[in-house]
Amino acid sequence: MKPNINVIISIAMGAVIGTLLRYSVDLSFFDIYFPVNTILVNLIGSLVLGMITAYFTFKKPSEWLTAGLGIGVCGGFTTMSTLANDATMLIMNEDYFLFLCYILVSVIGGIGLTSLGYQRVWRWQSNQERSE
Amino acid sequence: MSNMNTILVAIGGAVGAVSRYLIGQLIMQFRSQHNLPIAMLVVNLLGALGLGTFLSFYTPKEAITDSLYLMVSLGFFGAFTTFSTFSIEAMELMQKRQWKYFWTYVLVTVLGSILLFSASLIFIK
Repeated sequence: MKPNINVIISIAMGAVIGTLLRYSVDLSFFDIYFPVNTILVNLIGSLVLGMITAYFTFKKPSEWLTAGLGIGVCGGFTTMSTLANDATMLIMNEDYFLFLCYILVSVIGGIGLTSLGYQRVWRWQSNQERSE
Repeated sequence: MSNMNTILVAIGGAVGAVSRYLIGQLIMQFRSQHNLPIAMLVVNLLGALGLGTFLSFYTPKEAITDSLYLMVSLGFFGAFTTFSTFSIEAMELMQKRQWKYFWTYVLVTVLGSILLFSASLIFIK
């Protein structure tokens, strides 16, 4: 393995942006019991990464840019450890229905929005390529 | 948002994401031919275990202003683990109609993260 220093710097800078965005959502959006903020960042991040992934299959930019936006910004913005934390808290409080809602909305919503973003951008790019 | 806490969250996030990348690359070296996206699976499970272990030793008084909590939990482990890549990899398994791997990946990631987090929180204490 030979890690590329430009890629690593780009991921670190992207992660600063992504993590601070997630922090600002935590500070400014919902201050309620049900973990809406985690759902919000995970769903938005999934949608955006789906769009970026489709876009970059057509336009092939340098590795540092894809890594910075995908691994850095989207990866830093979304989180699985907080999801595990939130879910555990709901179980410990015996809120099994909210637990189930939380997991289903996160997983189905995340995969669904990623697919939606991916397909829309993929279609848009392939139409553009055809008309050129 | 105090300035110091903002800087600590940013540092934790940058270190977390770069660690995720490097550990992912390391795993891919050994298991790059595997159908299951094993790298992010392992990273997410490790991150859930790590966060549970950290919180079993350290309970913040007020989470949203506690500097160490913010840097390690919200910053490092928040960025070390990822949900967006999980969604992408699950979508790709669906597109390839690899249903067995799709369900394995989704269930092991989500239930495994929750189990490892709660187990480390409960048993390490």
